[in-house]
Amino acid sequence: MGRKGKRRDVQQKKRDKRLRQREAGKAKAAAEQERAASQRAKAVSGRQSSVGAEVLAIAAESSATEPVAKAKKELNIPEYKPSEKSLLKVRDLHTRFRTEAGLANAVCGVSFDVYEGEVLGIVGESGSGKSVTSLSIMRLIPNPPGEIHKGSILFQGKELLDLGWEDMRRIRGKEIAMIFQEPMTALNPVYTVGFQIMEILEHHENLSKPEAFQRGVKLLEEVGIPDAERRMTDYPHQFSGGMRQRVVIAMALACDPSLLIADEPTTALDVTIQAQILELMLKVKAKRKDAAVMLITHDLAVVAETCERVIVMYGGKVQEMAPVSQLFKDPKHPYTLGLLSSLPKPVRGKKERKLKTIPGMVPNIHNFPKGCRFSTRCDVVEDRCHDNEPELHKLGDYHYVRCHLVEGDKIEV
Amino acid sequence: MWSYFARRFLLAIPTLLFSTLIVFLVVQKAPGGPVEAAIMASQMGGGQGEAGGGAVDMANNGVSQASIDAIKKYYDLDKPIHVRFYRWGKKILRLDFGVSSNFGKPVWDMLKGRFKISISLGLLGFFLSYMICIPLGIFKAIKHNGYFDFGSSVLVFAGYSIPGWAFGMLALMYFASPDYGYEWFPLNGIQSSPDVFKELSTWGKLMDYAHHAILPVGAYMLGSFARLTILTKNSLMENLGQDYVRTAFAKGLPERRVIVVHAMRNSLIPLATGLGHIFSLVLAGSYLIESVFQIEGMGMLGFKAIINKDINIVMGILVISTALSLFGNIVQDVLYCIFDPRIRFK
Repeated sequence: MGRKGKRRDVQQKKRDKRLRQREAGKAKAAAEQERAASQRAKAVSGRQSSVGAEVLAIAAESSATEPVAKAKKELNIPEYKPSEKSLLKVRDLHTRFRTEAGLANAVCGVSFDVYEGEVLGIVGESGSGKSVTSLSIMRLIPNPPGEIHKGSILFQGKELLDLGWEDMRRIRGKEIAMIFQEPMTALNPVYTVGFQIMEILEHHENLSKPEAFQRGVKLLEEVGIPDAERRMTDYPHQFSGGMRQRVVIAMALACDPSLLIADEPTTALDVTIQAQILELMLKVKAKRKDAAVMLITHDLAVVAETCERVIVMYGGKVQEMAPVSQLFKDPKHPYTLGLLSSLPKPVRGKKERKLKTIPGMVPNIHNFPKGCRFSTRCDVVEDRCHDNEPELHKLGDYHYVRCHLVEGDKIEV
Repeated sequence: MWSYFARRFLLAIPTLLFSTLIVFLVVQKAPGGPVEAAIMASQMGGGQGEAGGGAVDMANNGVSQASIDAIKKYYDLDKPIHVRFYRWGKKILRLDFGVSSNFGKPVWDMLKGRFKISISLGLLGFFLSYMICIPLGIFKAIKHNGYFDFGSSVLVFAGYSIPGWAFGMLALMYFASPDYGYEWFPLNGIQSSPDVFKELSTWGKLMDYAHHAILPVGAYMLGSFARLTILTKNSLMENLGQDYVRTAFAKGLPERRVIVVHAMRNSLIPLATGLGHIFSLVLAGSYLIESVFQIEGMGMLGFKAIINKDINIVMGILVISTALSLFGNIVQDVLYCIFDPRIRFK
């Protein structure tokens, strides 16, 4: 608890500081910010787009329109243009769990694409279905009690839900790799790190033991573990949390996957090494230009710094989907607005200010509201919201929102 | 870490010394002993040993003071207790446990014969139960809540609820006596009578032993069967839910490898807990089961020795089992280190 609390504290302070700087600099700082942002972008290197940082900067200043316009002009944010080739097509995915309290519909009708070469963020509170979505893609939902009972997951044109166990096994770790949240428990405590890296290479690439060892050493060096050759024979408990997450990343990158799914990769780590870990994760793209990354997180700062496109999930459904710049500049869904305004934005001179929160609690998974899933907590709720579930509306090329109050073309998905 | 085990061995020496001292004091202070046994014997025998022996000392129930002194001298009872302990201890070091007062044979020779029987039965039961329970537990964990899981659980718990000796008696009734059931197995002993046994080929001897051992070993295993199976199942289930198992699946490893290599290895750690005690357990045997099946093992010998106040046998068995359980504890620590690399003793 102590460590966690402290971590949150530090995290908050870092965010506070960043936002305070921006707030203070309003008019004069546009140029300065550009520099700072690009420096930050450089820090998170090895990726093509670094709009995130700038976007967050703009979002923080969205009250003052003039500097924003100026900043936008000066920064020249590129229009979001994904590769047209979609790597992963998830359509109408339904995953549920049979529990003693009844059926728990964790994911109900999620559709989205992951395009080649992009970094896609999925944000939402705990219980919004983001982790279950990613585990469904890997077909790692424990059955029983869980099952994917409807939908389709097309990966490079192959229907993953129809694949046999053996075919799916060949994709896991090789084509789609995953990084989990808890580096402390994600590694097997009774085997050496080398053993755990080598076994992937032996299984997917048919390498011999000495070859796999050499590759393993190289992988550990790539993720910045000093003295890699000696560390291969160490056990996980001999590594620190950050180092273990590096090992997990090395394992995920072992076969140069075309899709990397990272489920809260930095949540359990100290803030000081979060940026390094994110940077390492994006290495997959340095190795393969067409590789995509799906980053699941609840940290909007991480999204802003890393992702190109964001999906906001709530109650097992996609609520808003937009390029990062759009989402921070012009959020449409009340839930997205709530999330953004929950970020601390301290104002100089005003010392005491409560952090804004979204009122209420995430509804019980067995008892979602009949209409809009967010209707129980929404502050602009109307009568129709309680009765009818809104459709996903298309607002722009890549901008979709699920809300009655938004005008746009309804789309069928 | 090796210095830890070296220290453990060195520490075992004073521990053993102290526990033998306690054993010695308890047994020496307990009523009964060779003198009383001789008195009893003389009463039973009608005192003919005293016929030519001068004055009859009525205070000693008809045993002369001279013969009591002779008996005391023979068993070293005429010396003060610390001298006796010293002399006894010196002999123990040479594996000389003295002479049995009932049988008149050296204790060590008597124990040696029994070791073979108790160890072979104990080890057989031990290996069989691990060989059956671990795969059974794995299978039950994988098929958790299935028909097989329920069915085998019913059997396992039924077995757990029946004491081994009770099961032994029932088994004898139904499988070894023609009056109640079938005469598939011999009624008692661990091998056929020596005359028959001698004539058998090696294979025949083995089969003869197996034929005799099935029922007693079954009774031995019964109790540990449920414990081991459920322990294996539960610890495997727990490990299958761990993050590293999910990681292993996410790496694209075959299911068999994930279960056997990743989850099972971790489940062995709690199973190693029982291994150290095996030593003393195997040796001590089980009096109840040995007496049901009329097997002349360590359990029977020890029990009879206590009843007959055969001090040297009692002390011999107690010393050996103490030494073995001390040794077993150290072995268990070594096993922990082998199974779980996180454990490092300093």
